[in-house]
Amino acid sequence: MDTRVEIAKGVVLKNPVLSASGTFAYGEEFSEIFDLSLLGGIITKGLSLKPKKGNPCPRVFETTAGMINSIGLENIGVDAFVQEKLPFLGQFYTPVIVNFFGNEEEEYEQVAARLDVDGISALEMNVSCPNVKKGGIEFGKEPDILYSLVSRVRSITRKPLFVKLSPMVKDIREMALAAQEAGADALTCANTIPAMAIDETTWRPVLGNITGGLSGPAIKPVALKLVFDVYQCVNIPVIASGGIATYRDVIQFLLAGASAVEVGSASLRDPMCFISIIEGTAAYMKEHSIESVAELTGKLII
Amino acid sequence: MKEVRGVVRDNTRVAHDTFLLSLDCDLPVSRPGQFVMLQVACGYEPFLRRPFAILGNQARTLEILYKIKGHGTRLLAEKRTGDNVNVLGPLGKGFSVHDGEETIVYMAGGTGLPPILSLAENLRQGILILGVQSKDQIPLLSRISSLPGVELKLATIDGSCGRMGLATDVLDDVVCNVSGSVKIYACGPKGMLLATSECAKRIGAWCEVSLEEFMSCGFGVCTGCVVETTGGNRRVCREGPVFNAQEILF
Repeated sequence: MDTRVEIAKGVVLKNPVLSASGTFAYGEEFSEIFDLSLLGGIITKGLSLKPKKGNPCPRVFETTAGMINSIGLENIGVDAFVQEKLPFLGQFYTPVIVNFFGNEEEEYEQVAARLDVDGISALEMNVSCPNVKKGGIEFGKEPDILYSLVSRVRSITRKPLFVKLSPMVKDIREMALAAQEAGADALTCANTIPAMAIDETTWRPVLGNITGGLSGPAIKPVALKLVFDVYQCVNIPVIASGGIATYRDVIQFLLAGASAVEVGSASLRDPMCFISIIEGTAAYMKEHSIESVAELTGKLII
Repeated sequence: MKEVRGVVRDNTRVAHDTFLLSLDCDLPVSRPGQFVMLQVACGYEPFLRRPFAILGNQARTLEILYKIKGHGTRLLAEKRTGDNVNVLGPLGKGFSVHDGEETIVYMAGGTGLPPILSLAENLRQGILILGVQSKDQIPLLSRISSLPGVELKLATIDGSCGRMGLATDVLDDVVCNVSGSVKIYACGPKGMLLATSECAKRIGAWCEVSLEEFMSCGFGVCTGCVVETTGGNRRVCREGPVFNAQEILF
């Protein structure tokens, strides 16, 4: 049995379980709890060109089987990451995939260029950010805007490039195809779902930013459908993200078409869940005599 | 920080809506002011852990004093002897303790009592001011009033016990009557912390406050619990929950 997955040329994950961006910070805290070398890969917190302060509090709200966050992409900026955080991550025997974002195409290009350094295996683009030059519409909501952005970043970096798709779009297949045509090596499917919470005693929104993004097991069925749709129209690997908390979720997402999965909110409630998910996935494969992850990817019986 | 299994030894009501939970638990050594994240549900409801200050952590026994505030704490109150509770901790930075001649004043407001009581039991000196709504909301009164070396002063909003009014009213009196310098540790509602911080500034006293904040992870990865300080955003769960009062932009 082989749990390895080649998610992009030269990027081999020892198992299909990655940390999701935004819930793993830069790896230091989790490294106090378990050996990060056990992970299929590490995806670090989204980086911008300059440090970002993020949104006002409250920034998180618990929902039924999940949570809404409006952290606002607080991060230390790309330069501080490369200087202060990347050397630490180098000690672990697992690929480091760096998530990044911008508010204009030029910013994406500049961040990607600064991440073209040793110690980074691949880049993951967050395209759920407003494009300030185009009236604030998200890059990931229009196929031609997404195509343009991904093409420009593609020409800047030699690193394998993953595009993390927005879930709330007219047709995610159009977005997936646009990203693939622009040169993406893999697609992460998907991001948090726009959401909000209201306090009926004060008549006010709960979150300081008014709205946020829903994550956790609550969104798993939605993410499954998105992965299922995207897998059927592209020929690059799909990485599932959305509510994964157990090895059973992993198997389900693989069947829907994923080659790997990202675990986010579940690791906030249970930081050791990575280990049980990795071990459970391997045990499932062994029990069902499945020799490779590829034997599961997209093998949903209909 | 470790994830360990806790087994309920005792979970008893000690005041109106307030419980004392004792867990058999092999948690690493902790400092007063540090906290744990407890997983109160088996499934996803509620989804996240809940943060609780460590009241005691000795001889493989973890003590948590908590008030029923919502769904999570209600589930915790239903735990019976022998039930499992998963524990993540110790988390955060505790109170800083250093030798000195100052008179130590502890300020505890309502549910802010546990970390303060933990510190007072550790330092065994000073004056503990506890403010609550009414007498029936004071937990562990005999334990608090018999603290060796610590003088207890109570304030109740309804006047049912101690001085009628706020803990900060008592603080104003105490600092007037103390000769020499004062060192203050506080935990409680934001308004109390702000008033305490202002009092400390006025009299030039060193003051640390422990902040309460809703937390998702409790160990620093989600940055959901940040507080604005003179040095920028700080995570309450990681750089706190204890901060120098003058650094907090209330």
